[in-house]
Amino acid sequence: MIFRRGFGRFKRDGSETDSPSEGRLSKDGPAQGAAVVTFVPRLPWRKSAIVQFEQSIPKYQRVLFYVLLAAAVLMGFFLFYERTQARDRLAARTDATPLEAPVSTSTESFTLDLASDEDGSVTPVQRQIALPLEPSVRARALLERLVAEYALPDAKHPLASGAAVDDVFLLKLPIADPNADPATTAADAGQEGELAVINLRSSFVNQHPSGVEVEMLTVLSMIGTLHANFSDITQVRFLVDGQPKDTLAGHADLGRVYPAVDTTVGAAQLQPAGGTQ
Amino acid sequence: MLWTERRWTGVAALLCTLTAGWVNAQSTPAFNRQVIVIDPAHGGTDGGAQIDDHLEEKDVTLAVAGRLRSLLAARGFTVVSTRQGEPGGVLTTDQRAETANRVHAVACLVIHASASGNGVYIGASAISSPLAAVPQSASVTRVSNGAVPWDRAQEAYISQSLGLANQVGTALARAKVPLAMGRVAMRPLDNLMCPAISFEIATLHSGSDATPVSDEDYQQRVAEAIAGALVLWKNQAQQPDFVTIPRPGGGA
Repeated sequence: MIFRRGFGRFKRDGSETDSPSEGRLSKDGPAQGAAVVTFVPRLPWRKSAIVQFEQSIPKYQRVLFYVLLAAAVLMGFFLFYERTQARDRLAARTDATPLEAPVSTSTESFTLDLASDEDGSVTPVQRQIALPLEPSVRARALLERLVAEYALPDAKHPLASGAAVDDVFLLKLPIADPNADPATTAADAGQEGELAVINLRSSFVNQHPSGVEVEMLTVLSMIGTLHANFSDITQVRFLVDGQPKDTLAGHADLGRVYPAVDTTVGAAQLQPAGGTQ
Repeated sequence: MLWTERRWTGVAALLCTLTAGWVNAQSTPAFNRQVIVIDPAHGGTDGGAQIDDHLEEKDVTLAVAGRLRSLLAARGFTVVSTRQGEPGGVLTTDQRAETANRVHAVACLVIHASASGNGVYIGASAISSPLAAVPQSASVTRVSNGAVPWDRAQEAYISQSLGLANQVGTALARAKVPLAMGRVAMRPLDNLMCPAISFEIATLHSGSDATPVSDEDYQQRVAEAIAGALVLWKNQAQQPDFVTIPRPGGGA
C-alpha cells in the first residue's frame, strides 16, 4: 500500500520519514525485527501550504505579512463598529421623538394645544417638559415639542418630522417706528404685551400637508400653545425663512397678524342642527 | 354772527353724516336671491394640494363645481363661476372676489379639496371672531368716506355667512357626511361681499373603508346636499342692517 506524499506522515521508532519505502506493510503484519511504521495522516491542504510558505518566504516578510493581516482584520472590525455607530447617530438625528430631560434640569408642566384632523378640534393637554429659561428660546423649544408630538405615529394631526421653527422673536408692543404718522402711532399705543414672530423653516412649510383644515389647525395649535404658556404674548405673526409668506401650504393666511387667543374654544356660532358627526 | 357760523357748521356736519351713510349703504347693495357664486379654488399653474399621484386639487374642485352648477341650475339659480376651466395663468384671490362682488349673490361658495381630514370641512371667515386679524395701523382701518376696506369686506355679512354655514352643515349631516366646522383665515373669504363659506371635501372614512374625493358618487352626494341647503337658504337670507333695499324699477 503506497501513500502519496502530502497526505500523511510515516512514523517509525519515534522518528518521522516522508518515504514509505522503508516500511511497507505486508498482509501478514510486520516481519520479525523489521521496523514498525505507522501512518499519521495530516491535513495536506493546510500544513503543506503553510510549510511551503514558511520555507519559501523570508522570516521578516512573513512577520510583516502576519502583522499586516492582523492590522487588516482589526481595521475591519473597527470599520464595522464605526459604521454601526454612524448609523445609530443618523437614526437619532432623524428621530424627532423628544428626548428625556436631563436629570439635573427640573421639568415643568406646560400646556400643548393639540389639533385633531378628525373633528377639527384643538384640545389642551399637559406635558412635563424641561425648557430653557430665556423666553424666546423657551417659546421655540415649546413649539418644537408641539410639532414633535405631531410626528408621532399615532398623532391625530400628522405632520412630517424634523425641525419646524427656526426662531421665535418676542417684540414689545407698541413697536416704535420713527417714520410713522403721529396719529397712527397714537392709535398703536393702545397695543400692549408682546408680538411673537415665529420664523418657520421652509423645510417644514414645504412638507406641510395642503388643505384648509389641516393648515388652520397647525396655525391655531401654535397660537393656542403660545397663548396658554406665555401670558405676555398678545399677537402672533409668522415668517418663513425670515420672509413673509402668503399662505402656509396654499390655504391658511400667514400674511396677517393673529391675536394670541385661546383656540381650544372653537367656533361657538358654528353648530349645525343635529350636530357634527 | 358767531351763532350763524355755528349753525352752518352744524348743517354741514349733518350733510356729511347723511352723505357718508348714503355712500355706506350704496357700498353694500342688496343681494340677488337667484344668484349663487361658485369659486373652484386654484387652477392653471396653481394645482393646489396633491390629492394622489395623478390628481390635483384644482381638478377635484372643478369637478365638484360642475356638479353643483348643474344641480343649482336645475333648481332655478343663476350660477356664476369664477373659473370655468383652466385659466392661462394663476387666478388671484382678489380677481375671484372681484368677480363675486359684482353680482351681489345670495351665497358665495369657495370649493377646496384635500388629501387629509375626513368628510367635509366648512369654514366661515375669521373676521369678527377672536381670531380676526389684528389691524397693524390705524391708517389701514380708517374709513373716512364710508368705503369698505377690502380686507374687511366680509364683515357686514359675517352673521349671514355663519347662518349659511350652519344651513349647509345641517344638510351634510343629514346626508351622513362626516363634518367639521370652523372659522378660517383664508382669502378670498374676507374680501367677499356676500354670505360666504368655504367647504373642503376630503377622503370619506367609514370604518376601514375609505372613499376618495375623486369618487363621483361621493361628489354627487355632497353637491346634492349643498344644493338642497341653498334652496332653503334663498328664502332665509337677510340683508345686512344698513343695506338700502332698492325700489322696484330702480338699480340694485
